[in-house]
Amino acid sequence: MAAAGRKHTLDAAAERWFEELDDRGVFMTDDRLIVRRWNRWLAAQTGRRAEEMVGRALLDLYPALVDRGVDRYYRDALAGEVRILSERFHKFLLPITRNFHGAGLTEMAQTARIEPLVHEGSIVGTITLIEDVTERVIAERELRNQITASEQARHLAEEASRLKDDFLATLSHEIRTPLNAVIGWTRILRTQPAIRSQAHALEVIERNAISQMRLVEDLLDMARIISGKLRLNIDAIPITDVARAAVDVVAPAAAAKQITVEVLFDDELPTVSGDADRLQQVVWNLLSNAVKFTESGGSVRLQIKSDDGRVRLSVRDSGQGISPEFLPYVFDRFRQADSSASRRHGGLGLGLALVRQIIELHGGTVGVESGGVRKGSTFWVSLPTVPAFGTEAAPAAVEPREPVTLKGVSVLIVEDENDARELLVAMLEDYGAEVRAVGSAAAALEALQGGRFSPDILVSDVGMPSTDGFALVREIRALPAEKLRRLPAIAVTAYANPEDRVRALVAGYQNHVPKPVDAGVLAVAIAQLIARPLPRNHA
Amino acid sequence: MQLTAAQQDALVELLNIGFGRAAASLSQLTGHRVLLDVPQVSLHAIDEVGEALERTIRGHVASVHQIFTGPVGGDALLILDEAGAAILKELLTSEPALPLAIDASAREVITEVGNILLNACLGTFGNLLRVQVSFSVPHLSIENVAGLLESLMVSQQGIRYALIVHAAFRLRDTQVTGYLMIVLSVASLDRLIRAVEDWESAQR
Repeated sequence: MAAAGRKHTLDAAAERWFEELDDRGVFMTDDRLIVRRWNRWLAAQTGRRAEEMVGRALLDLYPALVDRGVDRYYRDALAGEVRILSERFHKFLLPITRNFHGAGLTEMAQTARIEPLVHEGSIVGTITLIEDVTERVIAERELRNQITASEQARHLAEEASRLKDDFLATLSHEIRTPLNAVIGWTRILRTQPAIRSQAHALEVIERNAISQMRLVEDLLDMARIISGKLRLNIDAIPITDVARAAVDVVAPAAAAKQITVEVLFDDELPTVSGDADRLQQVVWNLLSNAVKFTESGGSVRLQIKSDDGRVRLSVRDSGQGISPEFLPYVFDRFRQADSSASRRHGGLGLGLALVRQIIELHGGTVGVESGGVRKGSTFWVSLPTVPAFGTEAAPAAVEPREPVTLKGVSVLIVEDENDARELLVAMLEDYGAEVRAVGSAAAALEALQGGRFSPDILVSDVGMPSTDGFALVREIRALPAEKLRRLPAIAVTAYANPEDRVRALVAGYQNHVPKPVDAGVLAVAIAQLIARPLPRNHA
Repeated sequence: MQLTAAQQDALVELLNIGFGRAAASLSQLTGHRVLLDVPQVSLHAIDEVGEALERTIRGHVASVHQIFTGPVGGDALLILDEAGAAILKELLTSEPALPLAIDASAREVITEVGNILLNACLGTFGNLLRVQVSFSVPHLSIENVAGLLESLMVSQQGIRYALIVHAAFRLRDTQVTGYLMIVLSVASLDRLIRAVEDWESAQR
């Protein structure tokens, strides 16, 4: 009696424990699938209380279980099997609508287990356990997304790294090619001074040196654009002048391949807002690209027309065209349709990338159309225009330069590299200047303070060992002699970006000329500084 | 104890019927056509199983384990190598698997697949023997073959045999091979083999 009483008490306690179990759903049915127990968790989650459920057939309460084939699992359980319902295959057992903010789930994600209930060797019903796994599903999805994102990032990085490798290979090749010509012809000139084709040799050397300089300029431009340091000198400019200047540049190359360059400009074109030098670079790039990829005897057409408040410039060629697969990548950095070693056309593949970047800096757009391989292609750029009233103030795109002379001007040159120093001396003597050159900042200070040589202007390299050009000019500006403190000074640097220019000016130079030095540019800079003496109060 | 060629053939045929039903359930669940073949059945004394399994499985295995009790009792396991389990999960759910240790959803999927297969296999035997067997809840574990077998040995004494059933899942042009292992006592095995022979002679 006492034992039976204890069992009864324990059963009642177990039943209550089961009813109050609140971290998962548990319900029982008899062997006809009539619901017999329905715990508190289920009542709370489904909104259906035990009183409503107990005594009713499970498949009547949830007819969708039959549509989803889950009734079979209950039959299996009544035949003695235990069935697992994974979240991934079934999503849920009982539909419990929830608002999971931002997770895109409208039903509680569940896993479930259906088991037979066995009493004295026979199956008397089923028990179902339901677990809420929504948080787990969201966490796994998040983890999977993060893995996918990091894999994509890795893939992109690998692709970028591969493109850079290709680019470096191309770059090495492109740098070596003109160097070979320069070095080869220079050796010939030195070993066979009496060579008849001296003029030809010099012409080849100059052409290759210019080509290499252009290559380096492209690289520097790209580096500036990548680092966001390219500055535009925006002005109202007549685009046709810019375009004609570019046509003049490519004309010899086109003529050499018997390619006709047709020019078609609308009358009355609006003025474009932009940087004349940069836009000329754009047109030149498009034209030289067209000439490069057009076979001998072909044609290139440059057209500029008004286009709905903008100016549209297009370059059409009859060349080899572009395959549809490559078309989307034409303006990408470092991309070339054929980056193999046996490729037929030289170049770094930077030209069109520069075109796009420069045009986008101008607020313009670029595009390309091609009928496919061997069908020619048309590159176009579209640029914003400036209102008509501003056009009168527009300066000419190319300023004519007056002939410059430095006769009677004495110049002190500071340059640690012998070749560069000799070149500067030769250039300025050519303009009639009286030149004295030293190889270090210390020698320059000594020459200035010795009093034997009193220059009108200082031209100094910036990158020098021990005391650099910045320190030199700062020391000069602190000297006791007023004439020296006010000595006009020009910095010559290989660091050809605007920040370096600012740095030179802050240090105490009045102007800045980039290397490789153009004799004309340097002469003009000197002439301008001499004509405009330094203000007395300059620090 | 060894199976004769005729006994092996009869077992393969019987199991293929059960696996056909399991494949149909998997196809319905996943929306992909899933085929399941039993190319081979072999019998090993329990202490030789490790050697037999380690010939084909290296490293960790994912196993779904269910104990069955009744007139015939023993252990039933689906065994997949860890990579196979991950591939199977990817194929079945069209979703990249994370390492099983951190992918509870993948473990659940493999558990359900094991549950379906083991039920089909034992259901077939139950029908054949005209007995009712009861099952425990399936559990998935990830460990090496030695550890897996050790846990099987600990629970039982006496000479036991393992029926190893090769199971080849084929879906989406890919095949994943796993093993079903039914561990039985000599008496249960004897009963099963006699029933298989009776069935086989009734087919003629």
